Amino acid sequence: MTAIKKFPLAVLALVMMFTVADATAQCRTFTKKRCLPQLEDYVQNDNYNTAVLIPGDEAELELTFFGDRAYRLLVCGHPVLGDLSFQVLDSRGNGIYDSADKESDHFDFRVANTQQMTIRVQVPQTDAVIQHEGCVSIMVGSKG
Amino acid sequence: MKLKHDRFTLSLRLATWMALPMMFFFVGCGETPEAPAASSNTETAMDEEGMMPARRQKAFKKIFHAVPSPIETALLLERSGIRFDAGALHSLDNASGYATTDLQSVNLGIYAGDLSYSVIFNQNQQSVDYLNTCRRLCDGLGVGDIISADLIDRANNNRDIRDSLVDIVTETFYALNGRFRENGMEEVSGLMAAGGWIEGVYLGTRNLNSSTDDLKLRIAEQKMTLENLMGLLRSYTPTAALTDMMTSLRPVEAAFAGVTITENAAAATAAEDGTVVISGGPEVNYDEATLTAISESIAAVRNQYAK
Repeated sequence: MTAIKKFPLAVLALVMMFTVADATAQCRTFTKKRCLPQLEDYVQNDNYNTAVLIPGDEAELELTFFGDRAYRLLVCGHPVLGDLSFQVLDSRGNGIYDSADKESDHFDFRVANTQQMTIRVQVPQTDAVIQHEGCVSIMVGSKG
Repeated sequence: MKLKHDRFTLSLRLATWMALPMMFFFVGCGETPEAPAASSNTETAMDEEGMMPARRQKAFKKIFHAVPSPIETALLLERSGIRFDAGALHSLDNASGYATTDLQSVNLGIYAGDLSYSVIFNQNQQSVDYLNTCRRLCDGLGVGDIISADLIDRANNNRDIRDSLVDIVTETFYALNGRFRENGMEEVSGLMAAGGWIEGVYLGTRNLNSSTDDLKLRIAEQKMTLENLMGLLRSYTPTAALTDMMTSLRPVEAAFAGVTITENAAAATAAEDGTVVISGGPEVNYDEATLTAISESIAAVRNQYAK
């Protein structure tokens, strides 16, 4: 392939890379502005569990929760994605909590014994002709 | 025929060039896409509110891996009755001696552990000193602007208010993790997380003989967070530094093998005050010899990096 042919491909790849990096940076801004305040007095875990998702996507986070500590689990997504649903599963995969019908984007709870749990998030499907992607952040704060 | 071959080669190269940035994006910090999707291209930038027209059509599952933050671990140690041990902290003077990205990354995590420990135990001047040291390492990693002079001033002005310092530390390390992801520096992020975890367990096991039963249980429970950490390290594209770290942690895994965890079903119930309490779950068993082995193995890997 000649240098002339290579040049536009390299430019295209660079443009995409910067677009992708920009999307990631925008998600950080989105999370800081829209999500972080919702943790209120819970101390945030400093993990960056944020991604750009589209309708139909799922996200999963496995984390250890420590005994006798209070947690706020917040699933924060751009409104264009609709109402995100999420479930909390124990280490054996059994459902502990389901956000369906709760009309809340967060779940406050206390853990009696330290355990690993999985948070599973779904972005609803849409019939829209033009689909949008948006930032989704799974945030965990703790206190007490 | 040659024309067909050229077109095929061109398409293949085009796909490769286009796939590169998508790989950069999907194989991000602590994330594993279960089924990465093909993408359609658009040059539209995401708006400030965090959305834009979709660049792909096929849905997939994204797996995040996370470990407790150094602040969480320090809080856990404090609540378990541990006493502050300044002698266990990593020397501030060593920070300037780490010349490679790998050592800077791991030691940034180690110093983050010491910073968190100092903050939680109200060691105010020490907290600011450790934050300054983290800044020096961040400079070396090219992200020095995250811990700016203004941030150091803010920490100094709030050094007597623990909650403010906790906020500063968590915000700072969240921003660092985000920046590492933006810059495609997932290796640095993983090594930093490993360093923070190692230092937390190291500090928690320095005085096992005088430890409370609660602290011993908390140490044994770190078997679960070690699984989280190994999952995080495995989720990144393998590099020599990440492989070295996982190899270095093998003796620690072997020591934690002495901790037995019996899985039981968990259940959520509402307490009288309306709080949801998740009870049940795993039962953790260990003996003193196992704790000693954990203490020795974690000290070995910590001192291997923090020399």
